[in-house]
Amino acid sequence: MRFIFVLILAATSWCRGDETISGRWEGSIQIPDREQKVIVDLAEDGKGGWTGSVTMPGLSVKGATLTDITLKDSELTFGIKSALNVQRVGPINFKAHLASDDTLTGDFVEGGNTAPFTLKKTGAAQVDAPPRSTAVSKEIEGEWKGEYEMTGYPRHVTLKLLNHPDGASADFVIVGKKINNLPVDLVTQEGDLLTIDSHETGVSYEGRWHKQNAEIKGTLFQGAVETPLVLRLAK
Amino acid sequence: MKISRLFLSGFGLLLAGICSAQNMFRGDMAHSGVYSGPAPRQFHRMKWKFATGDRVVSSPVIQGSTIYFGSDDGNVYAVDAGTGRQVWKRTTGGPVCATPAVAKETVYIGSYDGKFYALNAQTGAVKWKFATEGERRFEAKNLHGILPKNQTIADPYDIFLSSPVVVQDAVYFGSGDGNLYALDANSGDLKWKFKTNDVVHASPAFAGGVLFVGSWDSYFYAVDAKTGKEKWRFHGGEDPLIHNQVGFQSSPAVVNGVVYTGCRDSNVYAIDAANGKEKWHFPNELSWVITSPAVANSKIFFATSDSSLYHVVEASTGKSILKKQDKAYMFSSPAVVDDVVLIGVLNGTLEARDLNSGEVLWDFQTEASKQNKGWVLTADRKFNQQLLFYSGWREVPIVGSDKQLSVGSIFSSPLVSEGVVYFGSADGFVYAID
Repeated sequence: MRFIFVLILAATSWCRGDETISGRWEGSIQIPDREQKVIVDLAEDGKGGWTGSVTMPGLSVKGATLTDITLKDSELTFGIKSALNVQRVGPINFKAHLASDDTLTGDFVEGGNTAPFTLKKTGAAQVDAPPRSTAVSKEIEGEWKGEYEMTGYPRHVTLKLLNHPDGASADFVIVGKKINNLPVDLVTQEGDLLTIDSHETGVSYEGRWHKQNAEIKGTLFQGAVETPLVLRLAK
Repeated sequence: MKISRLFLSGFGLLLAGICSAQNMFRGDMAHSGVYSGPAPRQFHRMKWKFATGDRVVSSPVIQGSTIYFGSDDGNVYAVDAGTGRQVWKRTTGGPVCATPAVAKETVYIGSYDGKFYALNAQTGAVKWKFATEGERRFEAKNLHGILPKNQTIADPYDIFLSSPVVVQDAVYFGSGDGNLYALDANSGDLKWKFKTNDVVHASPAFAGGVLFVGSWDSYFYAVDAKTGKEKWRFHGGEDPLIHNQVGFQSSPAVVNGVVYTGCRDSNVYAIDAANGKEKWHFPNELSWVITSPAVANSKIFFATSDSSLYHVVEASTGKSILKKQDKAYMFSSPAVVDDVVLIGVLNGTLEARDLNSGEVLWDFQTEASKQNKGWVLTADRKFNQQLLFYSGWREVPIVGSDKQLSVGSIFSSPLVSEGVVYFGSADGFVYAID
């Protein structure tokens, strides 16, 4: 009897965490001399896990995808990997405790510093869906090649596009003095506009597909540097 | 009888079109700043607020049940006007400090990345992009007297980007590269560009086949919309010493053949749209007029920066009808709705004033303004000049001007639709108030 009671209690408390964590949470991080507003949206992802996004007004963070979301009893953790230059500066993490009064309190960890935060539930979740790769036209699938010059010597670019059921993927290689294999996280085609993004390296390519010339005419962005780049279908 | 009925119904449609057009900066192509009622004479509640990642100096526009605006976080947003829920967002490569124009299911807007975007109004998908010669802010040595004298300073008060006007198959906008551009609205192909000698961040108005816009080069231009040829130019003030009293940042309104525009030389000008001759000017004692004048009931409504005055003058003569002392700079352009005038103030307040008396009917203060962290404001909501600008050297004035915005300054010009007021704030939120 006692065993059953404990099981029921455990199940109730687990369900409670699950039900109450979903929603929009608003509050602030108490960074010394700088109170930072923060809005966190959390929702079930339909696969037994969680999905979420964060907005931080004043830091140009809008709807950044939450990563590594874990909820155990009333303890919640999540991180940010797609904003605030985390690739260069290091990971950003939130560790929170869910209190019975619909309050999330915890620590915000950034750059080796820790600041407390408090969030209150204010309504239903408005999770910003992360951008997803689209399929590309059949004629664009395949290997494209081009070259450009930077700081006095040529760079050779190879872009391989391949469609999958959940969108296209790309192998993006730039060969200069060394071989740079750029990890691509987003491939989109809107009309004749093709975009390839490698957020981790800060390199992207945007080009317009000219079907009749079998070429993609566009610009390679490397941080603040923009370089014209024409890609042609490899034979 | 048949003819007059047709004429009447056509005229009615035209009027309805003008009254309900709120799909571009200042409501219509001529930038009258007049919006359809009912007028929000009383403050009831904040209906919703929508968070972005950075300042919102862009002004919301509405098409159907969706509002559109930009944010300094680099995104263009479509938000459901009723619920405040995001419909879509589209990321550009820089802050979006302009106000979009919506026409033919397309959202047109420029970004600080130097590109001009045409987006699908339903989905946010890019229809086309046009690359200008690049954005930049107005800059000068010894700007506003900032020291040292030989240092070139980018103007921290050059806040807005030029907002487009769409006329039939063409879209027109200014750029930090000094050009006024005309693009094919369907393809994004360049029709023509008109070169001025400095930054064009004012927004062109259109009337009678002519575009009207000022440049930071101290001239105000009338340009033939079809050919891109100059029709006339009007010379505003110059300030070769500290470049404080020069340039057209205000966007014009064109009503009944007269162009009304503010200027950094501290004047409001009324200029004959046909020939560029000055009809009158209204001086403001060294105080900039950044607001774009609103024109209603044969009156001109505008406000000033440093002197923080709200003015109403006669449209025909420029004679003062009333002036009211406000508390802080005003860059937001007034919106006239029936018998109410709405305007944003840089101390984080949105004010509703009675059209006739000029008295404040109600105001809304952002949380950041109420909190007043770091005493950016004095106790009576004026800017705390002593703490903000304690020195004229190096970065102090720049940091001070940046701190001014931390109270949720309202640069955005209010949009009013069906009694609801929409506006952005430097606190990163767009507010809906009814």
